[in-house]
Amino acid sequence: MAVTERPELTPVAPPPSASRSRRRSLAVLVVLALAIVALLSQGLLHNLNYFKTVDEVLASRESIGTGVIRLEGVVAPHSIRRTNVGTDFVVTGPRGSIPVDASGTPPQLFQANIPVVVVGHFASASSTTFFGSAIMVKHTAAYIAQYPNRVKAPNGSVR
Amino acid sequence: MKLLAQRLLGPVTLVSMALTIWLGLVVTPPDKVQGNLARLVYVHPAVAWVALYLSFGTATIASVLYLWPRTRSATADRVAHSAMEVSLVFIALTLITGSIWGRPTWGVWWAWDARLTSTAILGLLAVGYLALRRANDDPELRAKRSAVFAVLSAINVPIIHFSVLWWKTLHQGATVFTANRTLLIHGIMAWTLLISFVAFSLAYCWLLRARYRLEVARETLGARAIDDALAARVLEGRS
Repeated sequence: MAVTERPELTPVAPPPSASRSRRRSLAVLVVLALAIVALLSQGLLHNLNYFKTVDEVLASRESIGTGVIRLEGVVAPHSIRRTNVGTDFVVTGPRGSIPVDASGTPPQLFQANIPVVVVGHFASASSTTFFGSAIMVKHTAAYIAQYPNRVKAPNGSVR
Repeated sequence: MKLLAQRLLGPVTLVSMALTIWLGLVVTPPDKVQGNLARLVYVHPAVAWVALYLSFGTATIASVLYLWPRTRSATADRVAHSAMEVSLVFIALTLITGSIWGRPTWGVWWAWDARLTSTAILGLLAVGYLALRRANDDPELRAKRSAVFAVLSAINVPIIHFSVLWWKTLHQGATVFTANRTLLIHGIMAWTLLISFVAFSLAYCWLLRARYRLEVARETLGARAIDDALAARVLEGRS
């Protein structure tokens, strides 16, 4: 004889609860918001602009005082001098230049005519020399072959 | 035709990847300033292109399609989910390859500048999207909430793109998509860069397709497992 009575199918797990989903979603969003705020506090909130250019520093020299800043400029040709503690050089901008005494080993791309960002401070409120504790090379977006004859520009000119 | 394209996707991806590696490591010359370090230009920008624009873009468009009542479908939700997972992988690769490039060129592994920080935030948002999906049991609610989250998260993509123009960053400006449409890389270096974009885009398509099929199989097998369990319980009741 065929069984016509339906058996009892007790649910293995409780059905999805909207309030539980909402609580979990909120927990995810709160954790995410905290993580993003932590990243922002490290990054964008204080350093929306990662550095000050030589011209900006010279223009606001008094207000900067001896505070730690990131200074950006191009390494002046023939200004690099190795010292016992690091490297002395001059960074230039369109309207002026600042001598830098940096400690530590500069990055391998460090050379004359290359843009750099130096982390450091002025020795005193009236000092013109910038004491750097770290040098970062800010390379350009241009890629030009080391051996010019191998590469031609779209207009036919050799780069 | 569709089947042929699907079959060719894997081999064509492998060939284009091999071509990129050969051109990038053997044929192209070193850069005037960066020397051999510049060879990472054939990896990092293409990976970032996939992470930010292709995969996150796909996830956003699919999410919009899901939210729009006329185009709402489980397929759109699956595509958004799959694309976001692939995006997270490529965002991680972007940060890793950028860091590997940054150490010898900049002199640091990481800098808290606007480009890097906003990219890291995009990675967090992708993690948040996937966590949000896990937090919701109801499929419809899950799809709707995660779609809204994906669309809101996409606001960060133009911020990342324009960060090097809006703010002063340690990260270089655009080489290809420059403001005045001037290409700052020439000759075989430019062609290799273009091929790398094609290769990584194909790799993205291949990964997205594989992930989508996995999601379909998971859902189908999940439904089948429930059917099997119900059948087993019915048999128990009969015995």
